[in-house]
Amino acid sequence: MKPIIEVRHLYKKYRIGMILPYYTLRDKLAELSRKPVNLFKKKKMSDDGLLEDEFWALRDVSFNAMPGEAIGIIGRNGMGKSTLLKVLCRITPPTRGEIRLRGSVASLLEIGTGFQQEMTGRENVFLNGAILGMKQKEIKRKFDEIVAFSEVEKFLDTPVKHYSSGMYMRLAFAIAAHLDPEILIVDEVLAVGDASFQKKCLGKMESTTYEGRTVIFVSHNMDAVSGLCNKTILIRNGSVAAIGETDKIVRLYKKENLDSSAKIHL
Amino acid sequence: MKEIIIRPKPKWQLVDFEEIWRYRELFYIFTWRDIKIRYRQTVLGIVYVVFQPVVNMIIFTVFFGNLAKIPSGNLPYALFVLIGLVFWNFFSGALARASDSMVSNESMIKKVYFPKIILPLSAIITFLFDFVINFLLLVIFAAVLGHLPSLWILVVLPLAILVTGCTIAGVSFLLSSLNVKYRDVRNVLPFLIQVILFLTPIIYPLSIVSDRNKYIMALNPMTSVVETMRMVFQKNPVFNPILILISVFSALFFLYLGLWYFQKTERYFADIV
Repeated sequence: MKPIIEVRHLYKKYRIGMILPYYTLRDKLAELSRKPVNLFKKKKMSDDGLLEDEFWALRDVSFNAMPGEAIGIIGRNGMGKSTLLKVLCRITPPTRGEIRLRGSVASLLEIGTGFQQEMTGRENVFLNGAILGMKQKEIKRKFDEIVAFSEVEKFLDTPVKHYSSGMYMRLAFAIAAHLDPEILIVDEVLAVGDASFQKKCLGKMESTTYEGRTVIFVSHNMDAVSGLCNKTILIRNGSVAAIGETDKIVRLYKKENLDSSAKIHL
Repeated sequence: MKEIIIRPKPKWQLVDFEEIWRYRELFYIFTWRDIKIRYRQTVLGIVYVVFQPVVNMIIFTVFFGNLAKIPSGNLPYALFVLIGLVFWNFFSGALARASDSMVSNESMIKKVYFPKIILPLSAIITFLFDFVINFLLLVIFAAVLGHLPSLWILVVLPLAILVTGCTIAGVSFLLSSLNVKYRDVRNVLPFLIQVILFLTPIIYPLSIVSDRNKYIMALNPMTSVVETMRMVFQKNPVFNPILILISVFSALFFLYLGLWYFQKTERYFADIV
């Protein structure tokens, strides 16, 4: 059987300036007028093919996922988890390498993406569902189920700007939980709502994976990873530091964190 | 199920129609959203759409028609200026909204993949909706004044919409992707639109312009659109094919330029927006 996700030697380069929110032409002109030499100076290239203000956010990442597998991705902040996710979701292109996805993909980097404050809960279900890749027919079919799951029946025809943050989150998650792709890519979206709703979401996600779907799950919540994933990847400095059974990798990660926090206490 | 291959450089394609087709429902939903939001927030709703060209027409007729006595050929000045304004409002409104579409949908671009070209396109279609209402108003107004359009309208109107649409699309593809990188576009655009208003024969007839300058002005496709449309409302229309050809080619050039730049930069929007 062919793997449903194949990631081969993935690299992603960022320029430090690119992380800035945005710049204006004015900034650029100001910068040039200060150092007009910059325009002509050839930038220095280091041995690994990087200009001086560039860095690898991902470095030679490879892994496979078989259909039905749930893979956790863990690692400390700034190690490249989000970048990997963004490349997997086609939000940003890789610099080198290749990914093959053999199935329909839905990505959940955030819940409630594209929600419109002015529009009602009902309208937002259709809007957000479409953004997440659901067909209109599919949304219509699942509509009652989504509404029941979200527990906001009474406010369906109220613009979401009047929702409490809890209601807003519940509706947003309810839509996300009813996605039906072959490959589901999920970022830390479970950090929503109260404890009981979180539990409900986790339960829903578990049943989702049991339905034979392939899941890539990025999280800081080790319990959630242990509960959901059979295989886990530890990312460190943009590379795969370890890959294997979830329990083993989670233990490794916890130990690593202990070591580094011990250092700080010294 | 089709295999998705993610690579640093995909095969070069000016427009990926197949992909837009696959995302047609999202395209539809975005347009529906834009129309909804546009009319929901205003108390007057659809009246608001008609309001703007009518008020402009009255102001322009008083100041440019009655006071400045700008000639308007065989047409009453009010009708003359309204024909221009109906197209101008479509052009300026859609251009402003579509050029801002990448930045105003920033949060979505950063979180979900979809062909981004549908954002400016749906903004344009939203304004096309306004345009249709305004154009009906124009025809009624013309009929009341006894200037029913000739049958030429069946040829000229679709062509005029097409040329206007191509121009808006091309320029807004270019500006919306520039806007991602340089937010200056947001500040410069209103000013730019104002300048183009005076470079387009909206408040004055093209006949007061010298022959040579006419052809230079035709590089702005809106020039022929407005000029030719006015002919349709006259008794014996005299079309200027050279003028029209220049504008058609110019519109196609803008479209190509916009598509090319959009396609070139699209993949990196999420990194810099």
